[in-house]
Amino acid sequence: MSKSSRGNGTIGAVLVVGGGIAGIQAALDLANSGYFVHLLEKGPAIGGGMAQLDKTFPTNECAM
Amino acid sequence: MVIDAYNAGLGERKAIYKYYAQAIPSAYAIDSDNCRQLGQGKKCGICAKVCPTGAIDYKQKEQMLDLEVGAVILSTGFHAFDPGRFDTYNYAGLPNVVTAMEFERLLSAGGPTSGHLMRPSELSLKADLAAAEKGLSKLHKQLKQLEGKYGKTTGEMYDTFQSAGKDDKDLRRWETLAEQATELENRLRDLKAKQETAHEPKKIAWLQCVGSREINQCDNGYCSGVCCMYAIKEAVIAKEHAKDGLEAAIFFMDMRTYGKEFEQYYNRAQESGIRFVRSRIHTVESVPENDNLRLGYVTESGDMVSEDFDMVVLSVGLESSPEMQDLAAALGIELDHYNFAATSSFAPVATSRPGVFVCGVLQGPKDIPLSVMEASAAAGAAASNLSSARHTLVKEKTFPEERDVRAEPPRIGVFVCNCGVNISSVVRVKEVVEYAKSLPNVVYVQENLFSCSQDAQDKLVEVIKEQDLNRVVVAACSPRTHEPLFQETLRNSALNKYLYEQANIRDQCSWVHAGDPDAATEKAKDLVRMSVSRAALIEPLPMPSVPVTASALIVGGGVAGMVSALTLAKQGFKSTIVEQKDRLGGHALKLKKTWKGEDVSEFLGKLVEEVKAEANIDVLLNAEIKDTSGFVGNFKTTVSSNGTESLKEIEHGVTILATGAHSIAPQEYFYGKSERVFRWHELDEAWDSDLVKNASSAVFIQCVGSREPQRPHCSKICCTFSVQKAVELKERNPDMDVYILYRDIRTYGEREDLYKEARRRGVIFVRFDTDHKPVVEQVEGGLQVTVIDHILRRPITLKADFATLASAIETRDIAGLAQQFKVPVSQDNFFLEVHMKLRPVDFATDGVFVCGLAHYPKPIDESIAQAQAAAARAATILAQKSIEVEGVVSTVDETLCRGCGKCVEVCPYGAPQLVEVAQDVHVSRIQEALCKGCGACAVACPTGAAAIRHFNDREVLTMVEAALCE
Amino acid sequence: MTAEFEPKIIAFCCNWCAYAGADLAGVSRIQYPPNIRVIRVMCSGRVSPDFILRAFQLGADGVLVSG
Repeated sequence: MSKSSRGNGTIGAVLVVGGGIAGIQAALDLANSGYFVHLLEKGPAIGGGMAQLDKTFPTNECAM
Repeated sequence: MVIDAYNAGLGERKAIYKYYAQAIPSAYAIDSDNCRQLGQGKKCGICAKVCPTGAIDYKQKEQMLDLEVGAVILSTGFHAFDPGRFDTYNYAGLPNVVTAMEFERLLSAGGPTSGHLMRPSELSLKADLAAAEKGLSKLHKQLKQLEGKYGKTTGEMYDTFQSAGKDDKDLRRWETLAEQATELENRLRDLKAKQETAHEPKKIAWLQCVGSREINQCDNGYCSGVCCMYAIKEAVIAKEHAKDGLEAAIFFMDMRTYGKEFEQYYNRAQESGIRFVRSRIHTVESVPENDNLRLGYVTESGDMVSEDFDMVVLSVGLESSPEMQDLAAALGIELDHYNFAATSSFAPVATSRPGVFVCGVLQGPKDIPLSVMEASAAAGAAASNLSSARHTLVKEKTFPEERDVRAEPPRIGVFVCNCGVNISSVVRVKEVVEYAKSLPNVVYVQENLFSCSQDAQDKLVEVIKEQDLNRVVVAACSPRTHEPLFQETLRNSALNKYLYEQANIRDQCSWVHAGDPDAATEKAKDLVRMSVSRAALIEPLPMPSVPVTASALIVGGGVAGMVSALTLAKQGFKSTIVEQKDRLGGHALKLKKTWKGEDVSEFLGKLVEEVKAEANIDVLLNAEIKDTSGFVGNFKTTVSSNGTESLKEIEHGVTILATGAHSIAPQEYFYGKSERVFRWHELDEAWDSDLVKNASSAVFIQCVGSREPQRPHCSKICCTFSVQKAVELKERNPDMDVYILYRDIRTYGEREDLYKEARRRGVIFVRFDTDHKPVVEQVEGGLQVTVIDHILRRPITLKADFATLASAIETRDIAGLAQQFKVPVSQDNFFLEVHMKLRPVDFATDGVFVCGLAHYPKPIDESIAQAQAAAARAATILAQKSIEVEGVVSTVDETLCRGCGKCVEVCPYGAPQLVEVAQDVHVSRIQEALCKGCGACAVACPTGAAAIRHFNDREVLTMVEAALCE
Repeated sequence: MTAEFEPKIIAFCCNWCAYAGADLAGVSRIQYPPNIRVIRVMCSGRVSPDFILRAFQLGADGVLVSG
């Protein structure tokens, strides 16, 4: 990483550890506000616990 | 086959697999431990041989990466409690005792039973039966052969073997086979017997607090905070799934439905016939003859009951994972006594180490909405320190200038995808390709193995140029997942992205008509014909970009408003706080301590000073919103302040509503009529008075005005408050009699520690129900409270020096604000976000956000997290110089418009506006940034003046015509 | 012998829900008769009565508006 890619020695990148619903949301918000994100997930897909749920209340919508 | 972790161990998968059908990335992975080639050192390589794109690379190795980052966010989630550790529930031994996660998979259409309600004991019955029958017939055949060789019957063979055949090779083989056959016959008989009694479960029990609120068998003293709601949800959904009715019973200690709309969901569940039994179950026994389960429990009236269920679901709690402890040690962050990340109520997503933030369950047990809020909060907090490096590492995408194709006749290219074998195994793709060539305006047709692969995209750019295409139709999968990808490729080819059309011949043909290749192929041709006819009509659409005013308007100067302003200020964005009162602070001014015991007034004092000193924040006191207009990035709001008539006009890119809530003044229990009856903070104010200091007994009454027909919601924070105050009273005077009269104690999450502490200190908890509410009377020298004790089932009378009422929390006068900002309000009068689970701080109106108690009653730590979240969400807009407006918006032909206002009436987003163009002549104009492209206005318009781009009448009707023309 | 009656059905599906439902049916491999032709719209509110009448006029045996 070149020095020029930083402002005042601050690095405009964030590491997010865990690709469940919280990690995904944090990563999206950071990327959408101008920061580079490394999203780390130990499994082969993101989604975490929520991806295993069938439906969510109170609307009984599909959790997927 | 490998146990499928995604299906909570209820299904199987192969060593090369996709984690789940909708997995992102949508790619297969090799599980090296179970792979013959990689993990077991055997020769295999089949997947490499069959992979048509050569994507398999066995040589990939684990790599160490060094990343330089400005902040770290931990969101490692939870570990579901393993009930196998308890022998009481017999989870390990009985197949029909399942965890809630397993039950989720059993309900899911994508799960091991395709969503059919089935018991695990019968899950594999069919397959087991088939396997046993097949094995047996094979054995019989082999036995027949041997017997045929000797020309003997089975009986004769047996005699031969018995007498002399023990050394004979053939006869020994006959013996082995015969033994195996007998064994299989027995198994088959058992399986058949099982099949006789097999049935869809008719009666299911949920057992709450498995691995939560439990310190005897495990150390999880906390409440997991989510299980009550998920159990109710599972029971509701299971009842929907059950064809012939289902009896559902939930065994619980306290029903903790404390979140937004939760109590209403609980009420509906009770009305739908789900049985709620207040009892903690300690043993699950097997009923061997039918794989049922027998629960023994004590009812509230003290009777011992034994009841059989077809299935038992264990509502397992959430735990910090063991890996988390290693990670915390590696990163040097502190954990609390339950191994969740230690945070302060005032900085709920900051760990003990600067620059490292947390969100989700690893910070403490919590549900999805709060996890998502914390995630945005962590993003906001992380970004607060990094704003000087914003945009330094991200690249903005640029596209070549668009070619103007409006004058050209359509030149359509059709790309038909095989999707590997997903489409081609059913649909005859070549036939579809030939057919597409015959369609009008089609100048080029190509077949792709995978249209979405990178090389196919590169090829598409080339072909568009070579063939001079000006419309592209891809016949492949769903536009919902892949349209953006192809549209981007069009933009890379200098074409407007709206010149694209997709026919879904996978999800609508090959995958759903797998048994009928002819019909699937015909349907694919029809879909391609429909798309081609539409493609000929679609037009390039402008995507105007509008500049963003990089500042926020924050309505409400309480903790939530101030925290969101500061979070934005630290990222370099200006904001204006509009506060109705003459000072900042809101209701936190009345709070003394957080539930963790931190000093609120000290924090609040610092917060107010920080806000006042912050150059990026402008505070308007005694202020009122007069009017607001505009859309995301470009709002304009008129505010009056400090009682002056002069109005201030504020331009802002986003709006955050943080108007808070307040506790009601009860009309019951002598409130306002006796100086001995307090509500909430009034107890704190009177804390050092003689009345409170010298009191020998105190009563707290919960749910005053909450969870009642006129106000069904739970006010969420009252149980924790009263329990904490009760502990403080006991600390000051251990001899004092302190009673809490409650309906359910809802000290959710780690707040359960307070409840435990209260009981340890001898606080007496008496439960009542709404039919028998406590009665307060004024008597000589104090109060007399009568309540029907739920155990003794007769009235008990308590003498109290004072009573504290946990009165309901509700918003005040938000209807006007809601109307001004065009945002909805829920039935219980809180602001209603766009999606309760996944977008907990966003409104459907872009650029408007909510936080704090105006969203729902919540403790200060959750308010702060939500305020940081609202700021982070707002920053995603403020960080952009301009916003691109979608092209699929409505238009009004002003020459046809007669200004009737029908479009204004039907638009849910307030996009059309009537404008006076001459005296008494009105026309409708669309504010494109507000339009979501639903097209309701086009349908409502009586003159045809309103139309929706990309879906105008011709563009839709041509598909109807093409579908039916044959 | 006459061929069995095969209805022609036009389905207008909202992109955000019903069309997503059709996708889910695909992903879940739920098998259904091939007589339906889906037309995607951004909202079922877009479906004007004219569309439905036109479909019947052109010989549709059924029209499904789902959203």
